[in-house]
Amino acid sequence: MTTVNLHLQQVKEQTAESMEEMWVNMGPQHPSTHGVLRLLIKLDGEVVRECIPYMGYMHRCHEKIGENRAYVQIIPYTDRLDYLASMYNNWAYCLACERLMGIQIPERAEYLRVLIGELQRIASHLIWLGTFGLDLGNFTLFMWCFREREMILDLFEAVSGQRLNYSFMRIGGLALDVPEGWLGDVKAFLQWFKPRLPEYDRLSTDNIIWQKRIQGVGILTPEDAVSYACSGPVLRGSGIRWDLRKNDPYGIYDRFEFDIPVGTSGDVWDRFWVRRQEMDQSVRIVEQALTEIPPGPVLAPVAKKLRAPVGDIYSRVESPRGELGDYIVADGSEKPYRYKVRAPTFVNLSALPVMLPGYLVADAVAVLGSVDIVLCEVDR
Amino acid sequence: MTAEEILQQIRARFGSEIRTSEVRRGEATLTIKADQNFEICRFIKEELGLEYLNCLSGVDWVGENEMEVAYAISSLRQPGKIILRARVPRDEPVLRSVVPLWGTANWHEREAFDLLGIRFENHPDLRRILLPEDWIGHPLRKDYQDERFVPYPWDDRKPGTVVRPTTA
Amino acid sequence: MPQIREELVARFYALFEGWGIPWIVPRLVVMLVVVSIIILFISVSAMFLIWWERKISAHIQARFGPMRVGGWHGWAQSIADGVKLLLKEDIIPTQADRPVFILAPMVVFAAALAAYVVIPFGPGLIVEDLNIGILYFIAISSLTVLGIIMAGWGSNNKYAALGALRSAAQAVSYEVPLVVSLIGPVLLVGSLSTTKIVEAQRYLWFIVLQPLAFLTYFTCAVAETNRLPFDIPEAESELVAGFHVEYSGMRFAIFFLAEYANMFTVCAIATTVFLGGWRGPLLPPWLWFLLKTYFLLFVMIWLRWTLARVRVDQLMNVAWKILLPLAFANLGITGLLVWVFS
Repeated sequence: MTTVNLHLQQVKEQTAESMEEMWVNMGPQHPSTHGVLRLLIKLDGEVVRECIPYMGYMHRCHEKIGENRAYVQIIPYTDRLDYLASMYNNWAYCLACERLMGIQIPERAEYLRVLIGELQRIASHLIWLGTFGLDLGNFTLFMWCFREREMILDLFEAVSGQRLNYSFMRIGGLALDVPEGWLGDVKAFLQWFKPRLPEYDRLSTDNIIWQKRIQGVGILTPEDAVSYACSGPVLRGSGIRWDLRKNDPYGIYDRFEFDIPVGTSGDVWDRFWVRRQEMDQSVRIVEQALTEIPPGPVLAPVAKKLRAPVGDIYSRVESPRGELGDYIVADGSEKPYRYKVRAPTFVNLSALPVMLPGYLVADAVAVLGSVDIVLCEVDR
Repeated sequence: MTAEEILQQIRARFGSEIRTSEVRRGEATLTIKADQNFEICRFIKEELGLEYLNCLSGVDWVGENEMEVAYAISSLRQPGKIILRARVPRDEPVLRSVVPLWGTANWHEREAFDLLGIRFENHPDLRRILLPEDWIGHPLRKDYQDERFVPYPWDDRKPGTVVRPTTA
Repeated sequence: MPQIREELVARFYALFEGWGIPWIVPRLVVMLVVVSIIILFISVSAMFLIWWERKISAHIQARFGPMRVGGWHGWAQSIADGVKLLLKEDIIPTQADRPVFILAPMVVFAAALAAYVVIPFGPGLIVEDLNIGILYFIAISSLTVLGIIMAGWGSNNKYAALGALRSAAQAVSYEVPLVVSLIGPVLLVGSLSTTKIVEAQRYLWFIVLQPLAFLTYFTCAVAETNRLPFDIPEAESELVAGFHVEYSGMRFAIFFLAEYANMFTVCAIATTVFLGGWRGPLLPPWLWFLLKTYFLLFVMIWLRWTLARVRVDQLMNVAWKILLPLAFANLGITGLLVWVFS
């Protein structure tokens, strides 16, 4: 693929390069780009002047495949988008189809979706925290976060049979009901997990090296955040109080009581802190959901061959990484005519060339870590 | 603003550009001719106050010989939402870019160009984003053929028919 | 102990004189024997340290560490790793500056080795009780910077060169507060000789009299040996790779060994100067010395697996704007107090 650097050559010719400026390549194989991402960084000494991301290494034609599959058959593909939060991908897609087809799902399924979704949020944030610590040089935090995540994965394995790509939700509810005693296991997990969060704090939030490393770095102004349609912790870190669970509730989120952590200055510290607090809030939601789950069916009676009425829909959920949206255009048949996934990390990553310039190259790793990218979602 | 109010305001201002408009599931949706898409988007953003572009997606209506760019726009301050669809002819899919209004449109439009071949005028950097730079063809089009394509048994497209090569 | 040694050496010399061989020959033989003992000690100590570090890091991270190699808790893991490194292919980049590339690890190791001359393992258990002991230690340990720059230059790799210059800057910056913090105890003793410093701690360890110097010295020691939180030169997840990126196999093993040898040396000097060296009741002196040194090594390992990495500009900040003024303050107060009470 010899012409793949044509763009870089053009860029070099167009920008006047002084003696001290040089282009440095970060990736595609790099321990800290969290996937196969190539960042071209223009350095002036130690300061980043420009950043050009190249992606597409993980493009697997998700949308084209979606056009050739029946609605139910797309669900396993949605897992593979953001594999660290598979349950939420399933939920986003199933919600879009349910809204399109006008299907109402049973109460128990709604509660279980919230419970599982919030556990998934905790698992996703744990991975993020661990790998963020790893980028900053703290190996112990990584090990501890993964220990807790293993417990959540065990819970999910008991429910769906899979550790990572669950395909657990269906259009109309869930695939199966949870096994006996599972809710008790969730409760036991929460008992174990709640004292762990202060332990993580001792290694991260309360540690001065950590604070000095990520405060004041990678600032994203609220205007830029809105213009670049950032969502999730990236948007909330910049001070904008917007969470789809509260502002545009889906499922039964309006029945739960929880806070939305919001940052102040839009730096890496704020995004870190928002995610750290979201873990606390997710624990709250799970506790409330545990006490209120009603018995009943978990799958609404839907046709075997689901057909959607002609029309389109844009439906969104608040995944751990931001606003995960599905734009589905239906033509009345059993396959979607156009299936587009609005991946939150794709959009958040577009703000990286705005967040990075002006800071040191040593901060590039921290800023990239704070955006919390999953390349499979960026490239679909 | 409710969906009806949004549609009313747009109809009052740009009535001639609108093909269809309706309120579906409480949300405003509207299909327009593509000539004034930038003005309509600017109106929606600045005067109706919907400043958050959620999604920009291209759709290939091969049966109607048209391509469509769908904008899903909402706001962080008020509950209004709108889906705006701009139609362009399929042989000359050219639209004006909305990058000056929303920074996020940059990468979304690049993706629409990459996968569907819709070109955006005044886009600062229109090049492929997901596929390699030297890829030929726009895979998400309904009539895209790949020389490596092997159809399913129930599909009646012929396997291995090379319509055009995919890489240089 | 010193008497036995003196007598043995004298008898050894007399032997050769009796045969009519000039004195330089037995002298060289004695030196070779001593150096071999030290290299043996460093190797064993480094192997133990590597295994110990893996065990400690594992238990901090809620896992087990090496458990299988050799049976009991994987004690032979380091030996297996050493053998593996020995058997690897020796790769030298084609465009590398061969003499410089090959000499670099040897310079680093030689500097680490030469510092063992003044470490007092016990009363009389010292290679040569130089009366400029501490000064000698500081001077020799600065030679590692030369080896690092040679490694970065000889690799013919832009990133290795940048990494080498960064680590040289770090080493040089942290030398200064290290030296200044050591002068405090030297003022109290009135001598640079390591043996005299240990003997002067008869009643009270210097850590009680010079706590600030100890903290400054220990922080600088962690930075000098390129350990987390100051391990920018070796950080894999940063943009620029370290100076030893082009080294593999035995050459890399020598760098690794030199790092652990250095760690031992700085902790040994800390024990000598601040923790009373080989002084202690009941147990034999060399055992006390080793226990205290290994305790400080344990603290270094503990720090590595708990803290995050300091950014490179913050590193320089800490050295020049925080540690150096603290060390000077300590020196000033010590000098004042010595003058007042003398």
